[in-house]
Amino acid sequence: MAPTTQPEIRKVIVDWLDDNFHFGDAAKLIKDDEMSFLDNGVLDSLGFVQLVLHLEDSFHFQIDRKDLSRDNFDGLGKIVRYVMAHPKFGANA
Amino acid sequence: MNPDPVMFRPGAEQVARSRMSELMRAVASATGRPIPDYAALQRFALEDPARFWSLLLAFSGLVHEGDSEPALLGDSIELAAFFPGLSLNYAENLLASGPGREDDRPALTACDERGVVTRLTRKELRDRVVRVARALRRHGLEPGDRVVAVVRNGAEAVIACLGAAAIGATWSSTATDLAAAAVLQRFAPIQPRVLFAHRRLLQQGQERSLDAHVGEIVAGLRSLELVVSLDDEPFEFESDTAQVLTLEELTRVTTAAVKRPAEFEWPRFSFNHPLFILFSSGTTGAPKCIVHGVGGTLLEHWKELVLHSALTPEDRLYFHTTADWMMWNWQLSALVTGAEVVLFDGSVSYPSEDALWRLVARERVTVFGTSPAFLQYSRDLGHVPRERVDLSALRAMMSTGSILHDSLYDWVRANVGELPLQSISGGTDIIGCFVLGNPTLPVMRGEAQCVSLGLDVRALMPDGGFGAGPGELVCAAPFPSRPVGLFGDTTGSRFHDAYFAQNEGLWTHGDLLELTPSGGARILGRTDGIINVRGIRVGPAEIYSVLTHVPEVVEGMAVEQIAPREPGGSRIVLLVVLKPGLVLDRPLTLRIKKELKARASAAHVPAVVVQVEEVPVTLNNKRSERAARDVLNGLWPKNVDALKNPGILHVLRDHPELAVRPGHP
Repeated sequence: MAPTTQPEIRKVIVDWLDDNFHFGDAAKLIKDDEMSFLDNGVLDSLGFVQLVLHLEDSFHFQIDRKDLSRDNFDGLGKIVRYVMAHPKFGANA
Repeated sequence: MNPDPVMFRPGAEQVARSRMSELMRAVASATGRPIPDYAALQRFALEDPARFWSLLLAFSGLVHEGDSEPALLGDSIELAAFFPGLSLNYAENLLASGPGREDDRPALTACDERGVVTRLTRKELRDRVVRVARALRRHGLEPGDRVVAVVRNGAEAVIACLGAAAIGATWSSTATDLAAAAVLQRFAPIQPRVLFAHRRLLQQGQERSLDAHVGEIVAGLRSLELVVSLDDEPFEFESDTAQVLTLEELTRVTTAAVKRPAEFEWPRFSFNHPLFILFSSGTTGAPKCIVHGVGGTLLEHWKELVLHSALTPEDRLYFHTTADWMMWNWQLSALVTGAEVVLFDGSVSYPSEDALWRLVARERVTVFGTSPAFLQYSRDLGHVPRERVDLSALRAMMSTGSILHDSLYDWVRANVGELPLQSISGGTDIIGCFVLGNPTLPVMRGEAQCVSLGLDVRALMPDGGFGAGPGELVCAAPFPSRPVGLFGDTTGSRFHDAYFAQNEGLWTHGDLLELTPSGGARILGRTDGIINVRGIRVGPAEIYSVLTHVPEVVEGMAVEQIAPREPGGSRIVLLVVLKPGLVLDRPLTLRIKKELKARASAAHVPAVVVQVEEVPVTLNNKRSERAARDVLNGLWPKNVDALKNPGILHVLRDHPELAVRPGHP
């Protein structure tokens, strides 16, 4: 089952950040939902690509590479909103 | 229908004017033997190695003195000596003037992620190198003394390295992101007298002080007499054993004496005089301190850069590397060709995710060296570099560090341009390559173009014979860039055990090799327990060393597994045996990862940690990473009978977190 609620989506992202980069400190590091990941050392662009692949795996949809922008992905709130607005979101839940 | 395997074919004129073709003509003229193509040249080199290396040295024009004969003494790879009567200086050769290498030509362009650029002509670089060389000599540094460095990939690192090499000191460097404990494991055994280090680290636009990091290293190196900051400002720590200076302070005392730096007389050193010490961590014990000689490094690099890579004074080479990888030393040697070397200090993805492609365009790079991981990253982003930036100066690309998947050849052709994409592979152990590009040959999808000239590279098959492979990569004849030895290994026994004990009389490299009908080669992975993830080599022994700081862990085993969703890529799987009654939960998993990052580096952090009751061991109680690795990659180990606990293989094969998943196309 793919996560469908906002808390579940947040958990997918924060857990992934912990598993791969921050090892338990991700939640502390993310001061608020609108904080930029790229400007605050939460993630670099290489990690950003890995996160996109992880989101595709977790939510069972493809992310159009044209959508890969700071507006859509540079922050926890932005990612959650992008995922929930994706046309295929919930289709395979 | 299968797609055309030829990805790039050089034009006749390009082939004819290459230095490789020029060498073929020179060898034909000197020997009276027809050398119509690369295969014929390689046959000659392997049939008459002494003559070949002698002709190559003469053809190279490298500055040397003494007797160039004999070219080769002995036929044992382990003991053979090349050019025992010859003396030369690495830095002198890199910085010499000559046609195409005039003083006012650009030598070095160092860029950082903020856009700060330092440009040095050949004369400017040589003058700065000479100032450092004189200063080090004034501080009493002698040939053979060790100089170590913790550095960013900047111009100062190059200047310090060549300054040390100029007076015959031996250079070792690491990047700034390796944990102090891991740095000390490498540097302490070689008892350095001098440390060069940067004070600041740039990362994703953020500047961070390295004072504490370097201070911890200095405190652990009691042999140090001199510590030099490569940034403008001094370190904030003091040392009770070493003098702590800035580079400016180090060289200031000699400024008056260097009014005419051209008068510096380059001392020349024997062919096997130690030039670099590189480090390689294995499955047991401390990292090996691999000593590479002046002559072997210089001659091999000249061959690889001028003949195989076809670098000329018109080229600008950018090879993406840091100072703890042998490719840093390799790209530095490109100065010998007269080409301009471009350095970059920073993230590949800052300030924009295509920062590296922008650098290539901005600096009019002609040869861009990178890794499969970076190409995959660009592909995953959906980038079309040739549409985003002007790549009109780019004439060739190189890739190394891990397996270059077939699909990336197609991606480069479609999205970068129709240029030769050269897959090259070798390693720290030989400070060079076993397989390379070649300006006289086509590029075939998925293949390195050829075996390195003069190196008798073979695939040793499981039946003990040689074949096309896949088989163990061995070298069956002496080669100049064989290490001089391992530092501190006075009897040579560790050196023998590392490279010759597995197959007596052969250099065993630890790679799996396939030789292709076209004369090319594919490297298919490692055959030993060493892990290579995204081009970064990780010795499991360093992971085990960190696990001793996690009291819950009794034993660990780290192995490489094919990565899901990353063609040709891999990941680290860590198996842990915990104290009785304990269960691996998420907090403990994260703590293990955190310890590994803090005490080793981010590259040592496993993608997956799994609890097991035992790890595979042989009947002699020797741990078998190889058996674990085979089963985690979908192969059933051939030597199951030699295992004491074969049942664990079933556990690993069936573990849900360890299933092998195919990569996406």
